[in-house]
Amino acid sequence: MNTIQKKIWMLALVVLAMMIAIWLTLTFYNQKMQTQYNDILQRYLQMNEVTSDSQQMVTDLNNYLLMPSQDTHSQLENSREQLLIVQSTVYELRNVENEFVLTNYSHLISSFVETVDRSIRFQEQEATEASLKEFTEATRISMYISEMTLTIIDTELKTYERFYREIIDQSAELKKLGVWLLLLITAALILFTYFFSMSITKPIHQLTKAANELAKGRFDQAIHVDTNDEISFLAETFDHMRGNINAMIVEIQQKAQLESELQDSKLLLQQSQLLNLQSQINPHFLFNTLNTLSKKAYLDGAEETSDLIVSVASLLRYNLKRMDRAVTLSEEAFVLRQYMEIQKARFSDRLQFFTELDAACMNLQIPGLTLQPLIENAVIHAIEPEEDGGHIWFRIKDVNAEVWIEIEDNGKGMSQEKRLQLLDGAIIPAEGHSTGIGFTNVVKRLQLFYGKEDVVTIESEIGQGTKIILKLPKIRGTANHD
Amino acid sequence: MRKKVIVVLCSLCVVLGFFTLWSAEGAFRSDWQLPAAIPADEESYRLVLITQELETPFWNKVGTGAMTQAAHEQVNLAVWGSYGNNREDFLKQIEIALHSKVDGVIVQGLDTEEFKQLTREKAAFYGIPVITVANDVPVEESLRKTFVGSDHYQAGKMLAEQLIRDMPAGGQTVLMGDIEQEYSQQQRLQGVTESLAKHDEISTVYVESGKSDEDIITATQHALNQNPGVQAFIALNANHVGPMMKEISRRAELEPYHLYSFDDGAETASLLEQGKLDAMIQQSPELMGEKSVELMMQWLRNEVVPLDSDGYITDIRIVKGAVAQP
Repeated sequence: MNTIQKKIWMLALVVLAMMIAIWLTLTFYNQKMQTQYNDILQRYLQMNEVTSDSQQMVTDLNNYLLMPSQDTHSQLENSREQLLIVQSTVYELRNVENEFVLTNYSHLISSFVETVDRSIRFQEQEATEASLKEFTEATRISMYISEMTLTIIDTELKTYERFYREIIDQSAELKKLGVWLLLLITAALILFTYFFSMSITKPIHQLTKAANELAKGRFDQAIHVDTNDEISFLAETFDHMRGNINAMIVEIQQKAQLESELQDSKLLLQQSQLLNLQSQINPHFLFNTLNTLSKKAYLDGAEETSDLIVSVASLLRYNLKRMDRAVTLSEEAFVLRQYMEIQKARFSDRLQFFTELDAACMNLQIPGLTLQPLIENAVIHAIEPEEDGGHIWFRIKDVNAEVWIEIEDNGKGMSQEKRLQLLDGAIIPAEGHSTGIGFTNVVKRLQLFYGKEDVVTIESEIGQGTKIILKLPKIRGTANHD
Repeated sequence: MRKKVIVVLCSLCVVLGFFTLWSAEGAFRSDWQLPAAIPADEESYRLVLITQELETPFWNKVGTGAMTQAAHEQVNLAVWGSYGNNREDFLKQIEIALHSKVDGVIVQGLDTEEFKQLTREKAAFYGIPVITVANDVPVEESLRKTFVGSDHYQAGKMLAEQLIRDMPAGGQTVLMGDIEQEYSQQQRLQGVTESLAKHDEISTVYVESGKSDEDIITATQHALNQNPGVQAFIALNANHVGPMMKEISRRAELEPYHLYSFDDGAETASLLEQGKLDAMIQQSPELMGEKSVELMMQWLRNEVVPLDSDGYITDIRIVKGAVAQP
C-alpha cells in the first residue's frame, strides 16, 4: 500500500537526488576545468623555473669557480639536480604542437649542464683557462635558455589562448545552464507537487462528499475513493459503516411494518370479538335453551326441527369457540354444512347447494369462521332476492402448492367497480350477517394468517353470478402470528 | 481549471527542458582537445634550416621546399634565421641549434671565420651534420657534409654571356660586389670576369660596396662619376640592385643602362617584372630546400655515405626582364 508517508518520502528523495546529481555534475565539471586551467598554468611555471634554475646554476658555478669549496660545490650540485628534475618535467610537456621546440629546449638544458660539468672538471684539473672558457659558454647557453623560455612561453600562450577563451566561454555557458536548470526544476517540482497534493486531497474531497451524503441521510450510495493509501482504508471502513447503518435502518423499517400489521390484526380481532359479544347476549343460556328445544322437538316427533336446532346450536358453539384460533378445513367444512342445513330449511327448494371436496386438502389450517361468512354472502346476494332461488357451489381443489377454495353462485353478480371496492374493503358490510363478520374482515384475517396479499380473487359479471376463489398456500408464510 | 493548470505546467516543463538540454549541449561540448602529448621516449628527427634572410621571396621558396620534403619524410623541420643579413643573430641561431642537439643543420653558407668555427668545431663536437644551401663555404674550411645550390661560377658566366649578347657593340660594365666577398660571390665574379675577359670590346670596372643602402648609393655614385660612359651594371649581390637602381634613375634615364643581377635578393623579382632589370639568373630555391632535406635524411639514415662533398647542383636559367616601361 502506498502510504502518504511513503509519498512524502518519495518527494523528498526525488528532490534530494536531483540536487545531488546537479551538484555532482557541476562540481565534477568545475574540477575538470580547474585541472585543465592548472595544467596550463603549470607549464608556464615550470618553464619559468628552468630559467631561474639555470641562472641559479650559473651563479653557483661562478661562486664555485671563484672559491672552490665543499660548500659551494654542494650548492652547485643541488642546483644541478634541481635543473635536471625540471628538465625532465618540461620534457614531458611535449605535445604535437611544441614537440620540436621543447625537444630543442630540453637538449639545450642538457648542453648547459654538460658545459657546466666540463667547467667543473677543468677546474678540478686546475685548467683554469679552459674552465673559464666553458663558464663563458655556460653563461651564454643560460642566456639562450632564458630567451628560448620566453619564446616558448609566447608560443604556448598562443596555443593555449583559445583554450582559455573556451574555458571562459564554457563557464559562461555553465552559468546559463544553471539558470535554465533552476527554472526547469522549479517548474517540474511545482508540477510534481501539484500531482502529489492532488493525490492526497482528492480522496479527502471524495470522502467529504460521501460524508455529506450520509449527513443528508442517503445511506444507499456506495462510497468509492480511487486511491490506495490510508484514505482508501478510511473510505473502506466508512463504506462498511454506511452499509451496516443502511442494513439496520431497513431492518427497523421492516420491524415497524410488522409491528403495525400485528396491531392491525389485533384490532380486527378485537373488533370481531366485540361484535361477537354484542350478538351473544348469553350464549350459554341460548345454547342450553337450544339443546332443550331440540330434545323437546324430538320428543314431540318433530325430528326435522330437532335436527335444525342441533345445527343451530353447533353453529353457535363453533362461533363461540373458533373465533381466535386456526381450525382445519374439515372442521370449517363441517360447520359450513350445518349452516347450509339451516339455510336449506329456510329456502327449501330454492337453494341448491353443491360441494366438491378434495379429501387430501382437508387438513389445511385456516382461521376459524372464514368460509361461513362467504357462503352467507352468497346466500344473501344470490338466493334471497331471487324468487326462483339459485345454486351455490362449494369446491376445494388441490392446485400445486396451494389449496383453492371456490364459492360460486349463479346470482345477479356485481359490477366491476363494485368488485374492486369489495377487494379494497371499501364496502361496509350491511346488517344481516349471522355472525356479524363481513367479507373484508375475512380477507384481512386470511392475509394476516398466510402473510400474503393476494389470497382472494373475485370473478363476477352482472347477471352471470359471482365466484370467490381463496388461494391458500399449503405452507404458511412468515407473517404467522398465531 | 485543473486541466488548464496541468497543461500549462507540462508545456512549461517541456519548453524549459528543451532550453536546458540545448544549454547543456553547449556547456558540456568538449571538442576542444588539448594538443596530444608525445611519449617521452618518442623523438623524431629534428632539422633546422637557418638563413640570414628570412622572409625574402627566395628564402621563402627554399623554406617551402624544405617543409614539403620534411613533411614527406615525416621529420620535424624549423626555419630559423635572421632578418636582413643580421650576421650576429644568424650565428647565434646556429649556435642555439647546435646546443639544442638538433639532428641536422641546413644552413645558408656564410664565408666568415665565426661561421666556419661553428661548423667546424661546435658541430663536430656535437656530431651534427651540416649542409650548406644556396651559398657555399668551401668544404676544407667548414667541414660541411655537402652543398645544395646553384653553380655560381656557371651562373656568373651565363649572366656575362647574356650581357655580351645584349651589347654586341661592347662597352663599359660595372661589376658591383661586397667588400667582404662571400665564397659564392667570388665564384660569380670569377665566372663573369672570365667570360668577359674573352671579349676585348667589353671593359669591366669592379666596384666594392658596403652593406648599408648609403654605402651602395655612394658606391654607385662613385662608379658613375669615375666612369661616365658606363653602359651596363652587374650586381653580384642581388640585394644591391634596389638602391643602385634608385641612384641611377635619380641621375638619368634608367633605360639606356643594361642591368643584371641574381634572384636571391628581396626586390629583384619585382624589378624584373617591371622591366627595370634586363635579365637575372633564376635559381631553383624550392628544389634546393627539398634536396637539402632529402640529402640530410639520407645521411642520417645512413643511406648515402658519404655525401658528395662537391655538392649537388640545382638548375639555373636566365630570365629576361619585361619590356621596359617608359
